[in-house]
Amino acid sequence: MYKPKDIIELIADNVKKTGNPFGAPSKVINGWWKNIPLPREGDGLLFTGLMYQSVPFIEKTTTYLERYEDTALVNYVKYGRFVPKFLVGWGFALLASSEEKNKFNGMLHSIVEVLKKSKVDFYYRPELDNYSGILLYDLGDVDGFIKHARSVVSKLKEKGVKKLITVDPHTTYALKILYPKYTGETFEVKTYFELVNLNGSNGTKQVTLHDPCIYGRYLEMSDVPKKVLENLGIECVAVRNSGPFTNCCGGPAESVSPKLSRELVDRRIEELQSTGAPVVAMCPICMANLTKGGVEVEDLSTLINHCS
Amino acid sequence: MATVDLEFAEQLEHFGVDTASECFNCGTCAAICPLIYEHFPRKIIRYAQLGAKDVILREADELWRCLHCGLCTYTCPREANPGELILGLRRYVIANWRGTAHVQT
Repeated sequence: MYKPKDIIELIADNVKKTGNPFGAPSKVINGWWKNIPLPREGDGLLFTGLMYQSVPFIEKTTTYLERYEDTALVNYVKYGRFVPKFLVGWGFALLASSEEKNKFNGMLHSIVEVLKKSKVDFYYRPELDNYSGILLYDLGDVDGFIKHARSVVSKLKEKGVKKLITVDPHTTYALKILYPKYTGETFEVKTYFELVNLNGSNGTKQVTLHDPCIYGRYLEMSDVPKKVLENLGIECVAVRNSGPFTNCCGGPAESVSPKLSRELVDRRIEELQSTGAPVVAMCPICMANLTKGGVEVEDLSTLINHCS
Repeated sequence: MATVDLEFAEQLEHFGVDTASECFNCGTCAAICPLIYEHFPRKIIRYAQLGAKDVILREADELWRCLHCGLCTYTCPREANPGELILGLRRYVIANWRGTAHVQT
């Protein structure tokens, strides 16, 4: 296990310097919108919170963390700002392969497609799309979280943004529940699949939908994506432990203990695979961890896009 | 030997936790927690109730094993909010590491 203190201070320092947990300029991470036509004006701002884009980088970093867990090198993380260059800053930015980046950027492209097909009035501005700071909150650095959240909010308020369309559970929870509580500012927050309005019957198909903890329990909205799929003629096979009782994918443990993370994902995969239907995720962290656990996973957005 | 601080549950209110004394240690949280073999979070909540600050600080790293998955909070029969309690204890520990008196809640 890594020393939480070292990990927390490293991440807090990165967020302070670059606005994201990795210490690389956000521009390096957030390039998914280039080369696709996106309106800069509209009703709701598409707010990715940089989560999907970050996964290829997180995956590479945790591969290293896993390799060195329980070795003497663990003690060097506190010097992370200087020593293991492959974990921070530009070194980190070079880690992710373009294949992985394309894969996760492609999921955001699917979300755009699905919103367009549903005739949702939305727009995108990369300069307003910032990391929510959720990891700081989860790790217990509430001071750092509030400070960061206020800077995100002030950029949105400056442009008069009122409606946000989110794409992942962690950013959704931060903006919907935590921002009003800790910054006093409330936005109208909707997850993209709440806005999907598509019908079709692209062949009857069964899938195993993995509910993330936040959508299933914290926000109690597991029925929404199910309904979206039902409208497309896709049946969600019952999974042992789902909805408000869904089981964690283990992802959140990956920075402190990759070993623990691996153990939890193995347990969850067993539950998911027992249905026999292909696995579908709707959180980039779940997607990454389940994939790392050796199972083929499709993102909800690509499934909706292909079947509509 | 550990010293106890009976005011600790109240001090935790500065860290966003006001449910520490609600818990009656039934163990539902430990039974449903994905970290099944760790007896988590029941043990550490008991320390918080007793005000065993030294033990909490000594075993602080354990707090970061929690995945914040929320199963314990969802199933707690006392609505003692164990998941949030763990988060509050993380804040307490970080404030101690950093030497800051209390955090904004």
